[in-house]
Amino acid sequence: MVEIENYSAVYQDGNHSLLALDRVTFSLNEGYITVLIGESGSGKTTMANAIMGLLPKNTVTEGSIRLNGDELTHLDDDSYRKLRWRTMAMVFQNSAAVLNPVQRIVNQVAEPLIYHLGIKKEEALQITEKKLAHMSISSDEMFRYPHELSGGQIQRTLFAMALILNPRVLILDEPTSAMDAALKAFMISLLKELKSKGTAILLITHDLDLAVKTADEAIMLYLGQIMEVLPARDLMQTLFHPCTVAMCRSFPTMDAVRDLGGMRGDAFYRYTHVHRLSDGKTEPHVHIAAGADREGGHAPILGCLFRPRCTQAVEECGRTSIQLTQAGTHKVRCVRGGIVDLLQLKQIKKAYGRITAVDNASVSLRAGEILTIVGETGSGKTTLAMIAAGAIEQDSGMRTFKDRTIDEWIKNERFSFASEVGIIYQNPAESVSHRFTVYDIVAEPLHIQNKSSGAAASKKRSGTQNEEERKKVLNALTDVHLPVEPDFLMRHPHELNMGAIQRLCIARALVHDPVLIVADEPTSALDPSVQAKVIKLLLNLQIEKGLTIIFVTHDIGVARKISDRICVMLAGRIVEIGPASKIINEPRHPYTELLIDSARGELIHFESPKSEQSVSPDGCPFANRCSRRVGKCLEMNPPCSNVQGQSHLFWCFNPVVLFSYDKKMRTDGEK
Amino acid sequence: MKHNIFNVLIINRWFVFGIILAVLLVIVFTAGAWFSRYDPYNASFSPLSPPSARHWLGVNDGGMDIFSELMYAVRNTVLFGVLSAAAALALGIFAGLTAAWKGGLTGNILMRLSEVIMSVPPVMIMIIVASFMRPSAVTLAFTLSLVSWPTTAKAIRSQALALRERMHVRAARDMGGTSSYIIVRHLLPELFPLYLIGFIAKLRMAVFMEASLAFLGLFDPARKSIGSMIRYALQYYYLDVWLNWLIPPVVCFSLIIMSITFLAISLEEVFDPRLKEI
Amino acid sequence: MKMEGKELRIKTFLSHNTRRIMTYLIAAFLLILLGYYLPRVLPGDYVTAMYSQSQAIITEEEEAWLKAEYADKESFCEYIIALVTLDWGYSLVFSEPVSDLIFSALPWTLFLLGSAHLLAMIIGFIAGVEAAWRRGPLEKLSVGLMTFLEGAPEIATGILLLFIFALVLGWFPAAGGETAYAGYGMFRWGLDVLYHTILPFITLFFAYLPGNFLLARGSMIVILKSPFLKTAYAKGLPSLRVRYGHGARNALLPVVTRFGLRFSFMLTGALVVETIFSYPGLGTLLFKSIALRDLPLIQAIVLFSSLLVLTVNIALEICYRFLDPRVRNET
Repeated sequence: MVEIENYSAVYQDGNHSLLALDRVTFSLNEGYITVLIGESGSGKTTMANAIMGLLPKNTVTEGSIRLNGDELTHLDDDSYRKLRWRTMAMVFQNSAAVLNPVQRIVNQVAEPLIYHLGIKKEEALQITEKKLAHMSISSDEMFRYPHELSGGQIQRTLFAMALILNPRVLILDEPTSAMDAALKAFMISLLKELKSKGTAILLITHDLDLAVKTADEAIMLYLGQIMEVLPARDLMQTLFHPCTVAMCRSFPTMDAVRDLGGMRGDAFYRYTHVHRLSDGKTEPHVHIAAGADREGGHAPILGCLFRPRCTQAVEECGRTSIQLTQAGTHKVRCVRGGIVDLLQLKQIKKAYGRITAVDNASVSLRAGEILTIVGETGSGKTTLAMIAAGAIEQDSGMRTFKDRTIDEWIKNERFSFASEVGIIYQNPAESVSHRFTVYDIVAEPLHIQNKSSGAAASKKRSGTQNEEERKKVLNALTDVHLPVEPDFLMRHPHELNMGAIQRLCIARALVHDPVLIVADEPTSALDPSVQAKVIKLLLNLQIEKGLTIIFVTHDIGVARKISDRICVMLAGRIVEIGPASKIINEPRHPYTELLIDSARGELIHFESPKSEQSVSPDGCPFANRCSRRVGKCLEMNPPCSNVQGQSHLFWCFNPVVLFSYDKKMRTDGEK
Repeated sequence: MKHNIFNVLIINRWFVFGIILAVLLVIVFTAGAWFSRYDPYNASFSPLSPPSARHWLGVNDGGMDIFSELMYAVRNTVLFGVLSAAAALALGIFAGLTAAWKGGLTGNILMRLSEVIMSVPPVMIMIIVASFMRPSAVTLAFTLSLVSWPTTAKAIRSQALALRERMHVRAARDMGGTSSYIIVRHLLPELFPLYLIGFIAKLRMAVFMEASLAFLGLFDPARKSIGSMIRYALQYYYLDVWLNWLIPPVVCFSLIIMSITFLAISLEEVFDPRLKEI
Repeated sequence: MKMEGKELRIKTFLSHNTRRIMTYLIAAFLLILLGYYLPRVLPGDYVTAMYSQSQAIITEEEEAWLKAEYADKESFCEYIIALVTLDWGYSLVFSEPVSDLIFSALPWTLFLLGSAHLLAMIIGFIAGVEAAWRRGPLEKLSVGLMTFLEGAPEIATGILLLFIFALVLGWFPAAGGETAYAGYGMFRWGLDVLYHTILPFITLFFAYLPGNFLLARGSMIVILKSPFLKTAYAKGLPSLRVRYGHGARNALLPVVTRFGLRFSFMLTGALVVETIFSYPGLGTLLFKSIALRDLPLIQAIVLFSSLLVLTVNIALEICYRFLDPRVRNET
């Protein structure tokens, strides 16, 4: 219906101009809801205004907006006016200020009927009354003035006003800001109704939950550029662009189980201005400047706009201009094709003598995510994590890190790989030498590498090297919020408490500036209060430094708070893996359900094993404890299944069906 | 804050215009008073003589030198305005702050009183007072301030009420600042623009009022004022006294009012952020 | 359905807070009280108080009659009754009842001030709205011109107009409200009155116009930035409907609010302008009575015109309630 192609808009603001939209291309289709998401200032509202032809007169635009093939950008005022509301209507941000304070709402709603269709006033009022009644505004309320209405009534009036001429295209600009739950439910049903009638809808919202529930396609805008186009149901789950990931991590939904992340750095605006360069040429410059502060660098911006805030930026990101490219069902603007897989483990097997520690485990880890491996003692979770860290060698299977084979990497450049990975061990007190000072503990990895890489330098380290090393140590300590006073640096571990020692260990893991952190039960030896701090610290490091973390724990409660994805292991096998919210709210494998139930202190579904039949080594490891066991469970390991094309995988013949936790609670209540 | 005010004002065309005009007027009339050689009450010259080297603007019907008279008249008129405006401003600030800070009954009574006063045309009060009591010009100036303070008081009050809820004032109160401390350190300085606006508006009205009252003959007939000069000159409008007797006070008066008006308009434009151009 | 809306309107109108109207009533009461007490607080008896400075020569007989008249209105109640029955006393200077003097001057003043205010209001408002809507060089020019005019006092413009058009060019009469003893028929008389009114009218018109223009433009600029105007525009309404139905309708509010205050301040200038053109209205009557020190007449004119101003203010207040639904159920 509406096609936007290579559309750019520049706001003029004195000497500077603000690039609000940068070659945006997308379309709105009949019966299709497109949602625009992004931070404030990313150009969402500008896009809506552009489609409605409501941009300030001095805005410079480029590209085209077509309605059923007719170009809108060159339309004269009068033709555009006739188009507005009749074909395209808009619901403005919910506030009484968008209604004229001195006119009754019924007149304001009826106005388009009178002025567009030339309907007589009496008749128009009747139509309006019906429309308002449909929005549950009584005929008593419709004669009120805006200041006499509640927020919900105003919102419904705005809907009635937008829909009064049954437009083919509807734009909703932040309809949910300041909206209560009941109103939101009303709106969702309204959107579905409109969708079924074939209205093309553009939804602008911060509310990702609403987006997932209603929209078909989501478009992520960042500084006026489309960063990612994706099916809306993938929001909160399968995201490619780091920008989208950071955005979704910041949004509080009922489903989100981990703590909110946020996007590092600040929002920026893009200012351009024209002035003479040193070589005498004039050329428009792009400035990227934070907020109201318009002092910015003069360098013309090339490459990815998200680069300064991206946690996986490489040098190449700043070199070339990047196009939106297809990646599966998504379109992503990223040189690296979205978030890359940092680590891949394929069919890893590891046995200690006759005991199989890890059996045929395949996991891949995306840059910047936190994967938690949950399992009971002896499930092989630590072994798998250590294999990933390169600390243990697998018996068979492939492991690649940054697209290089780990085994080869270690063989050739042991230390280069070691500096990519930092390991945090289970028992902090034991993992540091009590003879060392704080400084020496943190500097240890550096010492180790220096000793081996340059034998000559080992004896007598040069001054600059010393200086550099000190800087790295101090930075690492600062990162974990430990003091950097010389006094503290000379302390010994026994003078510190457990939490401080664990943070020391984290600092030691960070001193090389690694990409991957493998943390093996880092909090199990800590008090809950200290544990909370360490978890917060790790989350913060993830957001600020873009660290990828493999977190190993037996406590699914901790996993819930920290993970992007959770991997459940049992007896060396992965039984379920997927987005944390899915695993926690809708577990499919009975074992996962057991873990969650026991963590909640409700073992309602735990029944004693049906029989003590022996399980063959090929059978499901949970078979003899499982209440949902079927015959073949004993003989063969179930194959991998997934949930509705999502990245939620499980290995079970008879999975838990839709036992989403709140549903269970509901049925319990009915009983 | 003050630094900012000036920076903002100086780019306003009308403000610059008004200020330049005001400065010029002050210079001209100070120099003029210096140059006027005659006592304005000296009525010993031949009446209605045209301008000459001795009498730059001629002589009026009473045999007084018009130039000296004009210099005195301008001084009197402007002084009347300044006096009345200053008094009205002081009253307005006091009443406005009291109403805002005390609130309650005191505030209510003050505000109701100001509304009552505002609803009566000031010129009517002035006419009654002037014609019945025949007070001196200074007393009249103060009388005018008694009827012109309410607008300032209302503006000060509403602004002070808004300020009182601002975080830094609240913080000062939470830190244990006394009322007097908060009023002196926080409210009074922040209200500075309002004083300027209030003073200029009152000045304009007072100068205008003085000239009008004098024109209507409500002052002591011997007192020199722009209004009374115009009044006497206008009685001879059919004679050839226009250019030397009638026009000079009219032009002087217009220039004074214009300069004040430009300042008033520019101040309102600058300090009412809603009116700022997009 | 429609009835309900109307009923609602009446109900809210009746139940609205009438504080401002009360204020005007209190002011009126105070003015009447002042009129009652003023002669009583002055030194001496009524005749010495009121006529000691007067240019009228009072005979014994008249003095006795005045004193009797004064004694008649001894109580405040009697004073009020006298006020209501238009028994405002007798001007010895003009040898006419005060009420006759005032009512013969009143139509002239009402005509002059009314037409000047009305036209200045309508034209100033529309011009202000259009200026704010259009923006551009013409707007800049008109704002400059209006600011300049706002700075020109009525005394000055009046005298200059008198000088140029009445004396130098001789296009318009210099004084009076009609040609004396001309004996014109209705139509000729009307034209004659208009002809005499033009100069004072123009003076006042240009005194009132800039204020309305600047205020209307200022408030329209604010309104133009408001979200509901964007809504109206987005609805694809015709430009006139957006500008006046939604924009100007709201921009009118501050113009009306400020009108009352401006009206009472502007009265000063109106008195002067009437005097300059010897226009036979209340201003000139007041001027004459001041010159002749006819205190009872001065008092009556002041009281009468102040009450008139209060009436205008009350009328405005009621108008405003219809213009702005928000004040109707304000507490």
